[in-house]
Amino acid sequence: MTTPESTPATTDSVAADHRLHPMSWLFVLLQQLKQFILPLIVLLFFGRGDRNELWPLIGVGVLVVLSLWQYFTYRYGVAGDHLVIRSGLLERSLRVIPFARIHNVALQQSVLHRVFGVAEVRLESAGGRKPEAEMRVLKLDDALALESLVRRRGAAVVESADAEPDARTLLSLPLGEVLRVGLVSNRGMIVVGAAAAAVSQYSPRAMPNLFGEVSGRMFGYAGSHGFGMVEYGASALALVVLVVGALRLFSVLLALLQYYGFRLSEHGRRLTVERGLLGRWRTSASRRRIQAWTLHEGVLHRLLRRRSLDVDTAVAEDGRQQRALRELAPIATPAACDALIEHLLPRAGWSRLQWRALSTSAAWRMFLPSVPWVLVVAAALSWRFGAWGWLALAWLPWAAFKAQRRARRAGYALSDELIAVREGWWSRHWRFAELDKLQALHLTRSPIDRRCGTATLWLDTSGAGAMTPPLRIRFLPEAEAVGLYDSLSRTLAQRPLRW
Amino acid sequence: MTEPLNAHADTVAWQPLPTRARLLFVLAPTLPLFFVSLFPAFTLSRLLDVWAILPALPLLAAALGAWIGTKQYRHTWWRLDDDGLAIRRGRLWQRETRVPATRVQHLDIKRGPLQRSRGLATLVVHTAGTRHSAVTVPNLDAGDAERLRDRLGRQIDHDDDA
Repeated sequence: MTTPESTPATTDSVAADHRLHPMSWLFVLLQQLKQFILPLIVLLFFGRGDRNELWPLIGVGVLVVLSLWQYFTYRYGVAGDHLVIRSGLLERSLRVIPFARIHNVALQQSVLHRVFGVAEVRLESAGGRKPEAEMRVLKLDDALALESLVRRRGAAVVESADAEPDARTLLSLPLGEVLRVGLVSNRGMIVVGAAAAAVSQYSPRAMPNLFGEVSGRMFGYAGSHGFGMVEYGASALALVVLVVGALRLFSVLLALLQYYGFRLSEHGRRLTVERGLLGRWRTSASRRRIQAWTLHEGVLHRLLRRRSLDVDTAVAEDGRQQRALRELAPIATPAACDALIEHLLPRAGWSRLQWRALSTSAAWRMFLPSVPWVLVVAAALSWRFGAWGWLALAWLPWAAFKAQRRARRAGYALSDELIAVREGWWSRHWRFAELDKLQALHLTRSPIDRRCGTATLWLDTSGAGAMTPPLRIRFLPEAEAVGLYDSLSRTLAQRPLRW
Repeated sequence: MTEPLNAHADTVAWQPLPTRARLLFVLAPTLPLFFVSLFPAFTLSRLLDVWAILPALPLLAAALGAWIGTKQYRHTWWRLDDDGLAIRRGRLWQRETRVPATRVQHLDIKRGPLQRSRGLATLVVHTAGTRHSAVTVPNLDAGDAERLRDRLGRQIDHDDDA
């Protein structure tokens, strides 16, 4: 695949002639300063006169020198089907990255980046903690050129199709849809949580004080007026509505910032997602790098008649999801989601899958584990509160109903190309992966499973996030599970891994 | 004893671990349980003023650990067939993991001092997966481990870098 002429020995002589943007040192510096800037400001403005607080400025000076140093020593260039990056002056490093190994290209622009017309570029390969290359920052044109180069060369190496295909928009979100993304998501909670964490970091007493003051005033006001039961109920309800409304507003605002102008497009075999109102993100990954798919439909989704479609790609994951290609459709109608899957997985036959439901006895299997818990809780409550505690037993019929609903919804489908699982009743999801992308098989039986004659089959794919539901078929009759396990392991052994 | 999870026993038999591995299996849960139980045993014996708790509780914990370890030793099996490597563990919670040979990324053999003295080795099979990215076969016979590594490693050479 790689020609011997383009080995590092020869690339060394090839001029790595491209440089970072002249202002790149500023962005490197800002990145470094991010963690110091707030304490620094606090010190400057709230410090107590003696000038010792200015010592950190020396550190800033050192950082300036370091960032300039990085600018002057960092070069990159293209040699054949490799990208060559040289950095360092005293301790030199030369890194060679074959285009075909680059899984993901991420371009990120904050507001400041956009002012200067530059972008931060990250090239990621599968696995590992850190990206293969992080270029902070390139001129936007250079960044886009690099991205298209990766796209073209990577494609050329893989399937020798040189002609650059046109971009095709697969999905774009108008403003109304972006607002819907905000409505269904719980991002508002994240904002509030982060704000609370940040505040309490600077002053541990700030949050309790604030709470104490607000509630003190409220209850003081209420206490001094002596309202009736109805008024209390109404005001409590109003408060809840207010809080929920504020959280939704936050998440709508956040969705606007993150998803404004969302566009999923396709260049040949590469998918590109662009989004963002103030800062812009542009992520692109090859279609075949997608490891597994998640289609999700929560309660609010159903009210709005929408679903969301996420994918796992096997790239270096450092917890910042915005970098990797994750969301193919933050929100779309069920038909649009199906069309998207059908378009991206043409051979899998997503809409023609034969779904196999669980047997009706699976409902019992789901219901059983909740029985001991409910009994324990009810016993504890009745010990504490008397006969009223036994009301907790009313949970049992509800649990049975829930188990029955969930059992009716759950199922799996298997085709020559694809394995898919659906689960959930209140909040539903479909999870599926191509057979070629499966890595390992795992079959488990708990003591309850052995009594009920069921088993759970786990299918492992790479790049699955901690928050994505696992690809597993639960509560299968044992013989069916073992049969599936055997036939899948035979299939996997015959098919080479493509990822 | 227990009926096997996978009833269709194929031509290749499930391999047990060598008897030499027993001690290591027993030690693995016994020692931590023993030392962890020392602190509550000490506190309880002071609180209740019953000195007998001090030796009794750790010994009980150690016995429990030894029992768990013996069970784990007895219910660990491995098998290498044409498809790849399979490991079966546990009795109450039965788990069977299969790594098809085509999915093996790289292999590790680890040998601690105790394992070296008894001719044992732990084989770690790495895949590109997430939850089962490292499948471990503990305390194999060292020769078996090396044979497994060679067999599974050969497969990696076969498929070229696509």
